[in-house]
Amino acid sequence: MSMQPSVQPMTVPLVDDEPPVSLWRDAWHRLLRNRLAVAGLVIVVLLAFVAVFGPWLTPYDFLSQDLNARNQLPSLAHLFGTDDLGRDVLSRVIYGTRTAFVVAVVVTAVAVVIGVTLGAMAGFFGGWFDRIVMWLTDMTMSVPNLLLVVVINASLKGPAMAWMEARYLETLNPFYRETVWVDFLLVFGSMALISWPPYARLVRAQVLSIRGRPYVTAARALGLTNRLILTRYVVPNALGPLIVSVSAGLGTAMVLESAFSFLGVGVNPPTPSWGNMISDGLRVWQHYPHLLAAPAAVLGLATAAFSFLGDGLNDALNPKGSK
Amino acid sequence: MTAPAQDKPLLDVRGLTIEIDSRRGPAIIVDGIDLTVAKGETLGVVGESGCGKSLTMLSLVRLLPNKIRVKSGTADFAGRDLLKMSKAELREVRGGKVGFVFQDPMTSLNPVMRIGDQLAEPLIYHRNLSKAEAKDKAIELLRLVGIPAPEKRIGAYPHELSGGMRQRVMIAIGLACDPELLIADEPTTALDVTIQAQIVDLVRELRAKLGMSVVWITHDLALIAGLADRVAVLYAGTVVEDAPVDELFARPGHPYTRGLLASIPKLTDERTARLASIGGTPPEPGRRPAGCPFAPRCTLSEAICHERVPALEPLGTPTHRVACWVAQRQIREAA
Amino acid sequence: MLRYVATRLLLWIPSVLLVMLAVYAMAFYGAGDPIKLIFLRAPGDVAYNPERIEAIRQAAGLDRPFLIQFGSYILNLVQGNFGNSLTSGRSVWAMISAAAPVSFKLGLCAIILTAVIAIPLGMIAAMNQNTKTDYAILGSALFLWAIPPYVAGPLLMVLLILILPSGSVPYGWGGIFDVRILLPLIVLSFQPIALIVRQTRAAVIEVLSEDFVRTARAKGVPEMAVAVKHILRPVLTPVVTQLGLIMITIVNGAIFVELVFGLPGLGRLTVQALTNSDYPVILAITLIGSFLVMLSNLLVDVLYPLLDPRAADQMRSR
Repeated sequence: MSMQPSVQPMTVPLVDDEPPVSLWRDAWHRLLRNRLAVAGLVIVVLLAFVAVFGPWLTPYDFLSQDLNARNQLPSLAHLFGTDDLGRDVLSRVIYGTRTAFVVAVVVTAVAVVIGVTLGAMAGFFGGWFDRIVMWLTDMTMSVPNLLLVVVINASLKGPAMAWMEARYLETLNPFYRETVWVDFLLVFGSMALISWPPYARLVRAQVLSIRGRPYVTAARALGLTNRLILTRYVVPNALGPLIVSVSAGLGTAMVLESAFSFLGVGVNPPTPSWGNMISDGLRVWQHYPHLLAAPAAVLGLATAAFSFLGDGLNDALNPKGSK
Repeated sequence: MTAPAQDKPLLDVRGLTIEIDSRRGPAIIVDGIDLTVAKGETLGVVGESGCGKSLTMLSLVRLLPNKIRVKSGTADFAGRDLLKMSKAELREVRGGKVGFVFQDPMTSLNPVMRIGDQLAEPLIYHRNLSKAEAKDKAIELLRLVGIPAPEKRIGAYPHELSGGMRQRVMIAIGLACDPELLIADEPTTALDVTIQAQIVDLVRELRAKLGMSVVWITHDLALIAGLADRVAVLYAGTVVEDAPVDELFARPGHPYTRGLLASIPKLTDERTARLASIGGTPPEPGRRPAGCPFAPRCTLSEAICHERVPALEPLGTPTHRVACWVAQRQIREAA
Repeated sequence: MLRYVATRLLLWIPSVLLVMLAVYAMAFYGAGDPIKLIFLRAPGDVAYNPERIEAIRQAAGLDRPFLIQFGSYILNLVQGNFGNSLTSGRSVWAMISAAAPVSFKLGLCAIILTAVIAIPLGMIAAMNQNTKTDYAILGSALFLWAIPPYVAGPLLMVLLILILPSGSVPYGWGGIFDVRILLPLIVLSFQPIALIVRQTRAAVIEVLSEDFVRTARAKGVPEMAVAVKHILRPVLTPVVTQLGLIMITIVNGAIFVELVFGLPGLGRLTVQALTNSDYPVILAITLIGSFLVMLSNLLVDVLYPLLDPRAADQMRSR
């Protein structure tokens, strides 16, 4: 018997009846299989809808007072009851959702833009720029963040209000009477100030780790420019962890906003915010529990939804740990 | 089925089938494997990565990863079925009667535990030794596997040792309780070539000294030649050939085995000669062909190969068994 | 090691100085005239008299340029003089040293409670991954995480008032061994526990897939010993690195918890100082808070090599 071993190359057709699955589609499917994450996603989408279309959804104006119907328990006319001024709690909670989302989205957006820019530059250029950025993040993260924001808000609010007042008296432009803008600006500004460092660190770490990978060295050897490397390798790789931390960041921002309102340095009444509703509700808890329960429950729901979603995204985008 | 003329084997695996949960449902990755290991025998298990050789061995002590499980089969070890043991009995076997050496000593040793403590663990849990006794025995074991100055090394962490030294420690752990069977899962794959030879020599020496049986899993046929008494060749979760080592190298029966042998470079080859390779890739789990799993890659395949699975049957001598329609037909025609 | 600690302390000083400069600047330009606060304290003293005000201003050194004032504040600080409260006139140092023990005891107990409860729960969840036990633990953790202390505190307090016989109110401070400490302690620990349960669970799941855990099982080590000796130790490393974050969560939480439960600690002092724009107190608290966070980060760095011998080697070679 003389059978020589086969040496000839053979082509095996790649039999695959499934379409190629991209990383993102794969992650999306993994996310959809996670029931908690889907629940979180649904709640987040619902709240976002309420936030956007709030004015068309509220049964009453959030400011209109009905002194004949004060401190009412939930009923068909007022699903969440009314508060001490006879205002509809549901309408206020809906407007509070708007406030919470505006604060969360704007703060996170500003923090991400600052953090990603500084972090990517620090990682890419290194040297003294990197050291300064890292020192800034260290410094910001080494102060208890709530304290810092509260101090900023407490000390700058008075002068800012006074300045607006003075401008109004000077110009009689009604814009300067809207102190809401000062509220928002201070809250946004101080919260963004403490929120950017984690994003900067994350992106910097991604850039550093990707910069050293063999496939990037290979891409360099092929003559790819820095910009191409940044857009083709660094950005797609850093996007996953970034999405996860943005989802967590949105939840954190909502909680922070309500904490400030609770301490009286956040968005000022009469603009409804979950925090100042909770703070008001606490005073009359024993008699009118719905005034505390409604905003607290919605805040809890929102926070839980964001953390479920964040966890699910983390598992979906980093499949390694979730086996 | 052929019954070996010798005594009852130490390990007798029959019809072992392992499945994995894939997205399309359960898929078979090990398909009815039969393996035997006699007392004092060294069995080489050879196959490409992904052929199921490591999973087969892990399944014996029920250390399969999540989502992979034994579907059917028996694994008789010294008269008892490993696959049906209680957890307590199984713990007696693990590290006691069956020692394990894993592929990558860097990740297989606990990085935050001194090697002396890791080595003492099986002694403490199986032999009920005190800490001091276990330490003395650990030093002795380190000396046995050729680690210089074992009194000092015992306090070292894994990252402070070289790759070869770490694998010696792994072997010492596997041997700690004088096992009847040592299962070595590609113990040299992560090591330099010169270190590989040292480890092979060490195991050969220890086997002679201690008289245990050894199962040596590898993808390197050349390595096994000087070590094993018998070799089982695995392809896509089935045993395709099982023969004494000399017989296998002299008269390989299965086309896959021949392909493997041909792909070992020889010093006598012309410098310009192209190294032989087997075209194609093994079937994915869940996409096994209807007939012989090797048929799609086999240059000798015939119609029957694509239709029916060949059984593992003796080829000439009772100890040399091959699962191949063509080889079996040729031997019948020659007879 | 000592040199490393000293370097870290030295590096902390410029950053905290910058933070204090920022707070000082906000006080200087933003908070309004501190003299008014001094006046409010002694209303019967003098009527609104510009000359008198100027005299007080000069006596207090408040007419000097900003940087000079800040410099002299820092100089005093170095000598251990934190200045006086604008509202009560008491020495800030005395106020802080009265309040700090309350917060420190509370915080320390919260950290211990967190470690004792959260780490075992996280391990149990991970080792029963995707079972009902896991979902129950993870679900409760996410639930606790979602309730801020200023909601959990009052709710639990009212609940307890309803249950307890009248007269015994879970409010106020009677030392760390007083029963009344339990409720604030639990509320303060909610969020850190939730954080650590999730961290531990994730870390254990990661370690469970490591080869060395398989080796331990292949050696016949009992499951309990595998969990304690082979899984817990490597898991502690990533969990301990969260200490800084835990510290921030606790410092933040203490502000609310002390306010809600009427504990005379630093948190309540902070809120009082903020409502009164009492900047000497706010500055001192900022300094202490920053010091605490820095200290816990430093502690992590010192503990790390003890937990991971590989890190110890890198540190020595540095």
